[in-house]
Amino acid sequence: MDIPDLEELEWLEWLESHTLNDPLEDDYELEIGPPSSPETDNPPDRSSLSLPPKPSPFKPKTQINPTIKKRVQSDLPKSILLDVDNNYDFDENGPYAKRSRTEEAEIRKEKSAQSKSPDVAPVVGDDKSGGVNGPSVLLNGNVGSVENNEGSGGDEEWLRYSPPRDIVEEMETQREERILSRYATEIEGDCVPVTGLDGERVYAKICRVDMDEVDRKKTLSARGDFNGLLQEPVRVLMQKVEHEEFAKALQASAEGPTEVVPLKATVTDQQLWVDKYAPSSFTELLSDEQTNREWDSCVFGSEIMSTTDDVLSALRRHSSGSQHSKQSSKSYFANNKETRLSRNTLGVRNDLNKENSISQGIQDMRENRHKSFGPPEQKILLLCGPPGLGKTTLAHVAARHCGYRVVEINASDDRSSSTIEAKILDVLQMNSVIADSKPKCLVIDEIDGALGEGKGAVEVILQLVLADRKSDTGKENVDQEAHSGRKSSHKKQRNSPLLRPVICICNDLYAPALRQLRQVAKVHIFVQPTVSRVVNRLKYICNKEGVKTSSIALSALAEYTECDIRSCLNTLQFLNKKKEILNVLEISSQVVGRKDTSKSAFDIWKEIFHKRKGKRARKSYNSVSSSMSKDFEFLYSMISNRGDYDLILDGIHENILQLRYVDPVMQKTVQCLDNLVVSDITHRYIMRTQQMSLQVYQPPIAIIIHGLIAQLEKKDIEWPKSFQRHRTMLAERMDMFHTWHNRILPYISRHLSTKSFVEDSISPMLYILSPPTLRPVALHLLSDNEKTDIGQLVNSMVSYAITYKSIKSDRGSLRHEDALDATALSLDPPLGEFIQFKGYNSCHVDLALAVKQVLVHEVEKQKILQGSVSKSTHLHAKENHAPAKDNSGSGLSSKSSYKNGSEEKKMDREILTADKSGLSVSCNTPVAESSGYSTSIDGAKSVQTTKKPSGGPANFFDRFRKVSNADSRITTNVVHRPGTAQRDSHPLLFKFNEGFTNAVKRPVRVREFLL
Amino acid sequence: MLWVDKYRPKTLDKVLVHQEIAQNLKKLVTEQDCPHLLFYGPSGSGKKTLIMALLRQMFGPSADKVKVENKNWKVDAGTRTIDVELTTLSSTHHVELNPSDAGFQDRYVVQEIIKEMAKNRPIDTKGKKGFKVLVLNEVDKLSREAQHSLRRTMEKYSASCRLILCCNSSSKVTEAVRSRCLNMRINAPTEAEIVNVLEFIGKKEGLQLPSGFANRIAQQSNRSMRRAILSFETCRVQQYPFTINQAIPPMDWEEYVSEIASSIFKEQSPKRLFEVRGKLYELLINCIPPEIILKRLLYELLKKLDSELKHEISHWAAYYEHRLRLGQKAIFHLEAFVAKFMSIYKGFLIETFG
Repeated sequence: MDIPDLEELEWLEWLESHTLNDPLEDDYELEIGPPSSPETDNPPDRSSLSLPPKPSPFKPKTQINPTIKKRVQSDLPKSILLDVDNNYDFDENGPYAKRSRTEEAEIRKEKSAQSKSPDVAPVVGDDKSGGVNGPSVLLNGNVGSVENNEGSGGDEEWLRYSPPRDIVEEMETQREERILSRYATEIEGDCVPVTGLDGERVYAKICRVDMDEVDRKKTLSARGDFNGLLQEPVRVLMQKVEHEEFAKALQASAEGPTEVVPLKATVTDQQLWVDKYAPSSFTELLSDEQTNREWDSCVFGSEIMSTTDDVLSALRRHSSGSQHSKQSSKSYFANNKETRLSRNTLGVRNDLNKENSISQGIQDMRENRHKSFGPPEQKILLLCGPPGLGKTTLAHVAARHCGYRVVEINASDDRSSSTIEAKILDVLQMNSVIADSKPKCLVIDEIDGALGEGKGAVEVILQLVLADRKSDTGKENVDQEAHSGRKSSHKKQRNSPLLRPVICICNDLYAPALRQLRQVAKVHIFVQPTVSRVVNRLKYICNKEGVKTSSIALSALAEYTECDIRSCLNTLQFLNKKKEILNVLEISSQVVGRKDTSKSAFDIWKEIFHKRKGKRARKSYNSVSSSMSKDFEFLYSMISNRGDYDLILDGIHENILQLRYVDPVMQKTVQCLDNLVVSDITHRYIMRTQQMSLQVYQPPIAIIIHGLIAQLEKKDIEWPKSFQRHRTMLAERMDMFHTWHNRILPYISRHLSTKSFVEDSISPMLYILSPPTLRPVALHLLSDNEKTDIGQLVNSMVSYAITYKSIKSDRGSLRHEDALDATALSLDPPLGEFIQFKGYNSCHVDLALAVKQVLVHEVEKQKILQGSVSKSTHLHAKENHAPAKDNSGSGLSSKSSYKNGSEEKKMDREILTADKSGLSVSCNTPVAESSGYSTSIDGAKSVQTTKKPSGGPANFFDRFRKVSNADSRITTNVVHRPGTAQRDSHPLLFKFNEGFTNAVKRPVRVREFLL
Repeated sequence: MLWVDKYRPKTLDKVLVHQEIAQNLKKLVTEQDCPHLLFYGPSGSGKKTLIMALLRQMFGPSADKVKVENKNWKVDAGTRTIDVELTTLSSTHHVELNPSDAGFQDRYVVQEIIKEMAKNRPIDTKGKKGFKVLVLNEVDKLSREAQHSLRRTMEKYSASCRLILCCNSSSKVTEAVRSRCLNMRINAPTEAEIVNVLEFIGKKEGLQLPSGFANRIAQQSNRSMRRAILSFETCRVQQYPFTINQAIPPMDWEEYVSEIASSIFKEQSPKRLFEVRGKLYELLINCIPPEIILKRLLYELLKKLDSELKHEISHWAAYYEHRLRLGQKAIFHLEAFVAKFMSIYKGFLIETFG
């Protein structure tokens, strides 16, 4: 960059020698200047602009060089003009300059040429040239230009912002004195000696304002390094140079408006840019080009004609169908809207899967249309998407285009269900008298924020829709009657179908309040517009507002705000007010308050699992390390914004093994899992000690994993279900175990903990419960040994509160079972589940159904028996206790109670042994009781004689009688008690078996039962 | 009734295995100077049996008459009231509960119930104030806070209430609590003792025990009395009269773990690890404690492992078990161990076989 400097200086000197230019002469020469400028100047300009946006480090210089050379050769006025253009390029960051701007400049030039007044107006950015140029001449040029501007540039809004002449004049003159001199002493501060072509040596002051020169020097030195040493890799150097180039360009642009803005501020502009530049027509919509185009074709009538026949016919059908109703226009619009909506979503779909050719999309569309046509099904449109993408705007524009008057209800309104209902009904069913006859379209903004009170809106809409549905399906008259009957409390219009469209807008589609609405509404998810679209729009607005921005800065801004147009515009306006310029490098500090959007968990997992290449690589200017740190920052902020680390790490855990990463010895897997382990421990510790500040260490764990396994390949990510599933299943099993545990007799259950149960007990228990030796035959056919076995089994089942329960089974294999059709018996607490592992076949045998049935019966019986026995023993204990106390006094009480206990125990055991062998108890017992009850000896005899297998019971009854006799002997005052006790202890057991008995029949008198 | 319950010794005199301890306990009771007790030892060693026998020794057979209660406590904890629900077993003389069932609210349970017991102190026949016994199970699962709140109440109400704590590992009980108790270590029964018990049962049941059969059961029982007796009964049910080579049915979950181990040996890859994860989940779903899974898995892995690696693998198993106890999500830790094993084993295979 040394040559331009020198040349410039030379040129300055030349200027100095011609200081006395009178304005007339200037004018004259300027007349010649402009026409020549497009020829000489623009070609190089153009060529530089047509280059790809990827900046090459030295391009700005090479680009400037020729122009400056030309400038040296050419005459004065032309040179000024050229200089201006040159500046202009600098402002636009050289390579990134937009064609639109240059075209504008061209147009301006042409205009100026036509208007015959030499328009040198855009001297606006001449601060740079002012630093080096011969000031006096420049001043003259300025004077001329300003004068000319005043003359001609009325319609050229750009001109409004040109600085007033006197200010510039003063500044320039002041600067001139200090900057350039032949003597170093005349210059305060640092100066640089410069030798001109003719050998003349001047000293140039290095002043702060003159950033360009300094920067150029820097680049010079950088280049020197590059040539000489090559300490750093070329790429890094390139990046560095590029970077500096950016900085320089930005700086230049940053200085431009310092002069522009004060003027701008005088233009009173109270409106927010967001409102000012809100799109008012479809063509201005930013959201999604394809979407919008789809919309266009449907919205504008002419294009409807040109669309495929079936659309047209469908529409005609609708309009004709709705003619008989009063609100034909309205319903026509509704139909119209409907088609548009369907197309709209289709557009989005097309957009999402880009592989789909458009033709395919159209086919889709056709199918969809065929399906959905008929009366429009979904009259509610649910727009959702991140903030600032223009959902509300779209709703408004769309509604307006369809000829609706928009009525908006948003979060600021009272949204309690009572008020909102009236409001909604008003909107949907009334026609306004005063205003135009346009039907209204309801736009409910921020509907997802509607919680608690505000749920009213959703409810009302749902009711309307449901009513509509019903009226669609049923006969209308009947339905209306029904409705009016049912909802007489509501307004009378309640029953009329929903004819007007409702647009709901939300940010979070999956907000709980919207669950039902989602099903009935047509959901359209907003996708981010492309950065370039946003930038174009922003640029347009900036141009309108006269703010100088570079497209790099704008695209950086757009990326930073995630294409949130509202936030972009607000930022720009804010900066504009502050008289600052958008700066690429300081964007994070300039944008006021970063949007605190939390991404969905899926997005986060995607980011973690996928290496980004294109986008991020471009972002990182400097080196690998900085890109790493950028990566880190990005991920960190994203994850920490989301919070919910538990879920995120679960998701990582769920999906990590499905990824394909190169890992020969599984080192990476081990590392990843180790990190997950660390996160788990940290999480537990945090939760335990409530030291939430330690949460900051959670995101890095995810980032480490990202570093280990991130792949370019995109994999489907699954929601972490298995851990939750495991949790719920575990809870279920635990619950089952606990309920069962509570049913078991306490003296057994107290020894059985969950752990010991699943670890030691369950498998053997199942074996014991289903002995393979048991023959499926009737009880009385079993041998004695088998009977004792069964007795024992029944006993265990009873004591563990296990039984069989019939369960409906769908399997056809059990059809042939005669007793229980299509049902099978399974263990009542389904203990079998505890050993059911997926892919594992246990070798437990399942008992035959007949055996199970027998067991069920036996268990039932046993339970009844035991219940009564325990009751009776209880009674006995009481009885025994009282007389013992009476007789022997308090001193012996402990002893007696001990005795009671032992007795009890004995009885217990006896009963149990009886039960064990007593399979024949079924009808024996009553017999035994009835006989045994009358007289003690007889009873015993009779019992002993009744049947062979009741040896146990006989024994038992015998003993029992003795005890009770002993009791009765001891207790003289309670004579009658033993009798009743006896009755309680031997309850009657009636069992009705239809057409079947194995009991021994024996006449018994009712009197005997009623003792 | 299963044999496990049927032949559970009811009194301290009838105890077959830990006779010395039983005698000591008996002495404690007869001297009327019963301190707080802490029973610890592996499962299936007879802690509970001893405790029950001890209670019977203290209060006589009425200690056996227990009722199950679902108790609700309303606890004032500063600004809010906390509802705690817990199942208790109680007789007139003692209350038995499992405070760790209350989860993180176990502290309130411990505090409340001891106070409640101290309030209505039983008066025995002589008008002397007796004491109640509170049996707390699974003390090692109590949270730290509960244990801290326990230690003060233990001292304060020691006149009216004795604590019998029962746990598997005393290391998880805080020093403070341990020092306030008389620690009773209940060893796992030796195989000889198990054989002894089995033969006793066999005799009572009138069974013919072939020589060596009881030994085999004892060997497979992991020195757990419960398991030994249960598998004994299983064998009886499966086939009687016994034969010497009769198969002793294995625990299902152990079989499953050994399946997992063999599948790990077959292939070492993230894909296989994913399958293993599913199986581990299956085990966890069925309430099997992760520590036991890890232990068993290690055991199964070591069976087929080259002796070079055994030490290293054991080290890592210990490492991950430690982390497992620190952490919350067992699956992470189990899986990490499996991954580590796969990595080491694969490396070893590559190294030796190229």
